[in-house]
Amino acid sequence: MDPLIATALDTARARGAEYADIRLVSNREQRIVVRNGVVETMTADESVGLGIRAVYQGAWGFASTRELTIAAADLAAGQAVQIARASASHNGSGQTAARLLGSPVASRGSYTTPISIDPFTVPLDDKLSLLLEADREMAAVPQVTARMANVVFIREERTFANTEGALVTQTIYEAGGGVQATAVGNGETQRRSYPQSHGRQQGCAGWEYVVAMDLPGNARRTAEEAAELLTADPCPSNIDTDLIIDSSQLALQIHESCGHAVELDRALGDEAAFAGTSFLTPDLLNDYRYGSEQVNITADSTSATGLGTFGWDDEGLSAQATDIIRGGQFVGYLMSRESATRLDLPSNGCMRASSWNRIPLIRMTNVSLEPGEWTLDDLIADTDDGIYLETNRSWSIDDRRYNFQFGTEVGREIKNGKLGRLLRNCTYTGITPEFWRSCDAVCGPQHWQLWGTPRCGKGQPGQIAHTSHGASPSRFRDVRVGVMR
Amino acid sequence: MLGRERIRTLLREALRQCPAGADGDIYLTATEQALTRFANNRIHQNVAHQDAIAHVRVAVGKRQGRAVTNNLSETGLADAVRQAAEYARLMPEDPEFPGLPEPAPAQSVAAYDGATADCDADRRAAIAGMVCHKAADLSLDAAGFCRTGATELAVVSTLGADAYHAGSFSGLLITARSDDSAGWSKGGGWRMDAIDGEALADEAIGKAVRGRNPQDLDPGEYPVVLENYAVDDMLEALSFYGMGAQMVHDGRSWMSELHGKPAMSPLVSIYDNGLDPDGWPVPFDAEGVPRQRVEIVADGVVKGPVHNTYTAARAGVGSTGHQRGATGGPTATNLFMRPGDRTTEDLIASVDRGLYITRFYYTRLSHNRGCVMTGMTRDGTFLIADGEITTPVKNLRFTQSYVEALAGCQGLSDTAHLNLNEAGVAMHVPAALLGSWRFTGQTV
Repeated sequence: MDPLIATALDTARARGAEYADIRLVSNREQRIVVRNGVVETMTADESVGLGIRAVYQGAWGFASTRELTIAAADLAAGQAVQIARASASHNGSGQTAARLLGSPVASRGSYTTPISIDPFTVPLDDKLSLLLEADREMAAVPQVTARMANVVFIREERTFANTEGALVTQTIYEAGGGVQATAVGNGETQRRSYPQSHGRQQGCAGWEYVVAMDLPGNARRTAEEAAELLTADPCPSNIDTDLIIDSSQLALQIHESCGHAVELDRALGDEAAFAGTSFLTPDLLNDYRYGSEQVNITADSTSATGLGTFGWDDEGLSAQATDIIRGGQFVGYLMSRESATRLDLPSNGCMRASSWNRIPLIRMTNVSLEPGEWTLDDLIADTDDGIYLETNRSWSIDDRRYNFQFGTEVGREIKNGKLGRLLRNCTYTGITPEFWRSCDAVCGPQHWQLWGTPRCGKGQPGQIAHTSHGASPSRFRDVRVGVMR
Repeated sequence: MLGRERIRTLLREALRQCPAGADGDIYLTATEQALTRFANNRIHQNVAHQDAIAHVRVAVGKRQGRAVTNNLSETGLADAVRQAAEYARLMPEDPEFPGLPEPAPAQSVAAYDGATADCDADRRAAIAGMVCHKAADLSLDAAGFCRTGATELAVVSTLGADAYHAGSFSGLLITARSDDSAGWSKGGGWRMDAIDGEALADEAIGKAVRGRNPQDLDPGEYPVVLENYAVDDMLEALSFYGMGAQMVHDGRSWMSELHGKPAMSPLVSIYDNGLDPDGWPVPFDAEGVPRQRVEIVADGVVKGPVHNTYTAARAGVGSTGHQRGATGGPTATNLFMRPGDRTTEDLIASVDRGLYITRFYYTRLSHNRGCVMTGMTRDGTFLIADGEITTPVKNLRFTQSYVEALAGCQGLSDTAHLNLNEAGVAMHVPAALLGSWRFTGQTV
């Protein structure tokens, strides 16, 4: 064992910790952003440090340091225990680490994201050429006033060890890219993105993942669609209609209305001051109809290219797949060791920290809607009157994950089973269980795609998690659309 | 704390690695923070962290490259400078890049309190304990945090920039909950002793008690009295969706076609001032440029936006010192809304039928024209009838142009409250009476 790790764990034990764990993290990130023909950002970031958690009388303390020396690790371990003692002084005694955390975790091994091409070995010229070519394609559309093309590559090495005997090492790669065009005219501003909004599509993968997006080959079309939206008809206002929601928008719908709602820390009130709670309280587990029978949702930290894919979570639990919604019934939470123990369940390994200087929190892994059997063509043909919605533009949901409202970049009218006119400024709103119960059709695996959401905020101090969500286009009946002004 | 001399020495030594003919600057942020978090009337998370991040920029003619590291060793910083120089060499030219800013002295401003920076875990636990005990006494659950710490900012460049600032910070955030109600309060600033923890606890708890048994309310347009927490959300949105010159240039800002026009009520004046100790002062930006006071909206007329060196050169004006981070466009982060001349009670008394809103939650841009936002009310929403707060109501969704809402501002409170968020964004704002607010849905 690394002497630095051994020292930290020994110090924590010697100071009275009943349990301690340590994470050593080395993160390297490269970002390139081309904006309006200019390389706005080309940066190499590195961040290195360690964080130590300790339990004293059933209460937590955490400390971290960017200095990877035995002296600094020793100091941080002592500080973590001191903070845990302060927590215990308020909470009172009567709790033990064993009662807090359940069965010991003593995982051993190593894991590396499977990739074909290490993005850090690819020449910068290749990356710049790709982005500048995509930018030139968007610049060919005169109504476009703002263009952005970007790529990001991450390599993170993590070592986790605890006082129960766990010692695992992981190397996680991420790659992402995207283009975005903003058009102005006709008293409107409209944006179109590819492959998805919020800047980029991202996955645990190598350079090949970005090459496969073909950003230059899709940039012109993206810009043209932004311009086309300037004169498109507005979304019908405040009507109930049938929606077919595309895979990427549905991914964010899953994230907000299911993924967060099944985080057990939220359900238990631990996030009440910030992220909020959840309507899916523990008394509803295995006894609540969340959606229609077509709705099957899993949390799977083994999905290929998922941003929630790893070897072990940040408590040393192995990657695994568990049911969340089965045939519309609410059957599972995302859990930590501590929260699972409170329900007398084993953890399903969802504790993740955004950095060495943050504690692990319950975070989504890859929470996905399983594919159904429809083809998209058949589903559109089967819809008399509705709207096909693509690509998220705005998103909001209440603190219990009931009332949501989303906007999309694009809508297309569906009339008599055929796609019709383009619609701009589309929004839809609803109440989570009513919405998912109205789902009557899910497209098949040929339409299923895993989408990265690399900006999921939670916790205080704040953390940004990288998660993914798979979905195929699906139909929802009688949804309220067109809430704008 | 690293201290000015140590930082200056480290950064100057690192910049020696700049190649001949190149200029370089380093923006360093060093933060030590401790945060005690509580929920269900117990401390469930209790953390301390520190980090120091050097943002290196090297400019060669019209090319610039960047590197970021938290390895402040001699070799770590030198490697980052060499990496940035290599990137600069590989970059295509940016014809509009004006070069690094010439050094200018920044005004010193008091924003550091040793007792706040050095506050220990026992004191934070005691404050958390006080809040939890008060809540438990009324059968409520308290959640929130108490945080303390300090930040050092420095910019050193080969052109001679040598800026340093140390600021402390503190915050106490409280949510008190019953089965069907919640209340909220938040205090913060650079001096912990300016926070009245007992009063904040009473404020959140009082709301939770008063909010029990909330009633349904039909969505529609209502006059609203917004507490300062809700006004804070409005200013943050107006800042991030449009007070920066890059967004205005791109046509993505709510300001884009409103410059010089009376878009808001004459009661509304908004300005950014990084030097006012009533805010969370930061006297220079990430380029080392001294912060200027910038009028964003004056008596309802749109003035702004804020600039960095790049956008200022393009516009033919001087930088206002608003480059917030090492990358991205200029941002207004020390905003003040000029208070009015009425008490909050007076604002409420002037409403026949409307809503009293504690704060907004999960607000997101629906459309940039007019800054149309959607979001929810949270932690204390009440009906106002005949000039008095009456029934609590279930939380409501709104879809509302913030610019149009401020055009209908009918009054502002005579006191303002500092809202300092975790990212160092500070909004000093009063409560507001707005003539109309569009509620478009209700939650369960």
